Amino acid sequence: MARRTLSLRVNGKRRRVSVEPDEPLLWVLRDELRLTGTKFGCGLGQCGACKVLIDGRPIWSCMTPVEAVADGREIVTIEGLGQPGNLSPVQEAFKTHTAFGCGFCTPSMIIEATALLRDTPRPTRAQIVARMNGHLCRCAAYPNIIAAIQSAAASGDGGEEA
Amino acid sequence: MALSRRRFLYGLGGTGLIFVFDLSCARETPTPPVLLPAEGDDEEALVAAATSARFDYRGWLVIAGDGTVTAHTGRMELGQGLKTVLYDVICQAFELPREKVELIMGDTALCPNDGPTTGSNATRGVAWRYWMACHAVKSRLLDEAARRLSVAREELVYRAGEISVRDGTRRPLGIGRIGTGVRELSEADLESAAGDLPSYVDKQNPSVEAEAIVTGTKQYAGDVMAGECLYGAFLLPDYHAPRTRLLSLDLSPAEEVPDVVRVDRLGDSVAAVGRTFTAVQKALAAVAAEWQAPPYPPDFDNETEIRRRRKLSRMIRDKGDVEGALAASDHVVTESFVTQYATPAPIETHTAVAAASRRETTAWVATQNPFQARERIARTLEVPEERVRVVGMPPGGGFGEKASGSVGDRAAALSSLVGKPVKFVYSRRAHFQQDLKYKHSVVLDITTGVSSEGKILVRTIDFHQGHGRGTRKLYEVPAERSRLFRSEIGVQNAIMRGTSYTQTIYALESHTEMVARSIGLDAIEFRRRNVSESAFLPLLDRCAEMLGYGVDLPPGRGHGFGICYHGVHQYAVVGAEVAVDRTTGEITVTKLRGAYDIGKVMNRNTATMGIKGAMIWGLSYALFEEARFDAHRSHMEAFADYRIPRFADIPEIEIDFLQTHRPEVPRGCGEVPVPPTVAAICNAVYDATGRRFYTLPMTPERVRTALSR
Ligand code: FES
Ligand code: FES
Repeated sequence: MARRTLSLRVNGKRRRVSVEPDEPLLWVLRDELRLTGTKFGCGLGQCGACKVLIDGRPIWSCMTPVEAVADGREIVTIEGLGQPGNLSPVQEAFKTHTAFGCGFCTPSMIIEATALLRDTPRPTRAQIVARMNGHLCRCAAYPNIIAAIQSAAASGDGGEEA
Repeated sequence: MALSRRRFLYGLGGTGLIFVFDLSCARETPTPPVLLPAEGDDEEALVAAATSARFDYRGWLVIAGDGTVTAHTGRMELGQGLKTVLYDVICQAFELPREKVELIMGDTALCPNDGPTTGSNATRGVAWRYWMACHAVKSRLLDEAARRLSVAREELVYRAGEISVRDGTRRPLGIGRIGTGVRELSEADLESAAGDLPSYVDKQNPSVEAEAIVTGTKQYAGDVMAGECLYGAFLLPDYHAPRTRLLSLDLSPAEEVPDVVRVDRLGDSVAAVGRTFTAVQKALAAVAAEWQAPPYPPDFDNETEIRRRRKLSRMIRDKGDVEGALAASDHVVTESFVTQYATPAPIETHTAVAAASRRETTAWVATQNPFQARERIARTLEVPEERVRVVGMPPGGGFGEKASGSVGDRAAALSSLVGKPVKFVYSRRAHFQQDLKYKHSVVLDITTGVSSEGKILVRTIDFHQGHGRGTRKLYEVPAERSRLFRSEIGVQNAIMRGTSYTQTIYALESHTEMVARSIGLDAIEFRRRNVSESAFLPLLDRCAEMLGYGVDLPPGRGHGFGICYHGVHQYAVVGAEVAVDRTTGEITVTKLRGAYDIGKVMNRNTATMGIKGAMIWGLSYALFEEARFDAHRSHMEAFADYRIPRFADIPEIEIDFLQTHRPEVPRGCGEVPVPPTVAAICNAVYDATGRRFYTLPMTPERVRTALSR
């Protein structure tokens, strides 16, 4: 294959990239757009470190060819949810609950939790677990992550800012 | 980085002070004193001296002209909260806001080599030492200010970065304007500061990294030079060491892959460099290479081989009349336990970026040990270490695995091959296959003799593999013999969260409850009668209470405990409740409770997170983790092949801190929760099923098979 110019909509902005069309979205975000908050953990859809929102739904960016999300699909990465000093409610809850160790899995956890709370504003513990189960955290911050999501839910609006 | 270096030089030069102190308390032997360059010496010479090997295990506190306090440490933030605790300590000691404190970690050009970041000694060994040093520094600042202002020291007070005269006759003096040059703090200075140390108050600040982490802006090695450098990777045989020879090779299909810059043979491996991660992976997949297989037969039965090849390594302990005590015992219980091989499996694979040249090389490495990475890079490039700068990047999980490793030197080799900066991110498969080290399988034979009153009279332990550690300061044992055997198995040993105590405590504490049952004694009561450290008594009671121990449980459920003594006065008691499904063999841990006496808790937020995480590691070791490999190679390629905990596995966890033993000093807590959790779960499974599992992990297949027998 050869490089092609594609148009992407990322965090509310239109971006043009020249890439191999089958390049996983993950590497386009990281290297072409320098949005490095989305992480590589396996490239196989098994760790959940790479999720972004596509039209509001969390998907594995490591498994998604960039051409599949070009032309008008709405891509939201962790950078689109909030910035230092202006955190989204879910980010704020992860901060107060120390819902991380090394933090490597955290951006993707926050992406998933944001979508979860939009779909299910008052999730039970079981609903949180079922929805988050594809995300691995080797630091095992799990109890704190569950607590953070519960508290973001209790505080009402867990939705994204962007 | 340039700013930091200026700041460092600024502090060293005419307008500030640098304090140097010994950080070697975590080691057996103290660091020998060094001769510091005299005041006013050339700045570059000072930096060179500061970062040379002669300064091993020293801490640095730099007070810049503007009153900013900067600590330079070669230690790394691993997610254990060291960075947060160091900020807390320095801000509190100097009464300064965060903005007036800086921390430079893991940069070999700016930090002293104060050792690798492993084990749980970081808060105990580093943060507390800094707390003492900060107070010693304040005291020295008062001395110097008194001289400078020609007033009696008693007339001066330190407050929030300023020294003022009590009677208010003069303007306060900022600490950046008191003097210049380098000062060494002696052990006596630190001890005298320790003598009247104010009590450290845990303000329960959120992690200093929180904002960066939750916004995705924390920088890991893979985020360095995004979009600005090439990617590279190596194709290596999947075999364990020793390395095998490359027999045949065809690179042409790889060279055709778009965006590939270079594919080349390097020794007995293949190097590929390209514009994207994906291109490099595709290129390596297209290489046709054949390696010579290792000469030995691929399969072996682990326990049989360990026993068959055993050689006595050392007598660990031999006290009292063991044979006589065994004969005099009312009950004797003998059991054998086998632990699995395990691997750290962090979510971030090995990652480094290197910009190499013969003149100067900089590498950003995800590591727990930047100085070791520097040494390896220098060796690989055949240049002196002074020409290599490693910027240690905080790992996305290390757990011991990133305390050593080749990713830095491999990235440097790739970079020097193409003469451009290269990023090397291991694929998940490469991470699971290449240079893999394993937490060792240990085989333990344990015999205990007890009196019918429930007192331990004698114990013998034969350890096969491991270090034979973890039995001290648990129980009063009048006669004892323990021996360590080693067997040549050809698998590289890994350091892994939880230490070698994990294997020992799993076996010993499982055994403890079997001994208690053999004489019909309750597990808590038996421990109460036999523990050698009184610090365990309140912990046992508290843990039993938190677990709700003593009430009757429905069938298929059980309670169990484990205790552990680790490091310097870390005491832990963990209790577990499990539910066992006899048809599926599935074990569900429904509750974990931990009672800890670890002295001063420096930051409850990061400490609690770390302890719960460590308990989940214990759960995982008991139920899931098992590295599969044969004498040739690892059989793991993806997370699907190596089960680690997920959300659905997580029980309700509660912990409590009891501070009965020297509560004013922190003693660390990173690892002590792991071993007793393993034992507690095993004991709870026994309580629920009446079956003891002598091999870990307790997988559904193993449980099903055992229960259907
Ligand atoms: S990197 Fe996408 S799931 Fe692991
Ligand atoms: S915080 Fe380290 S992997 Fe989740």
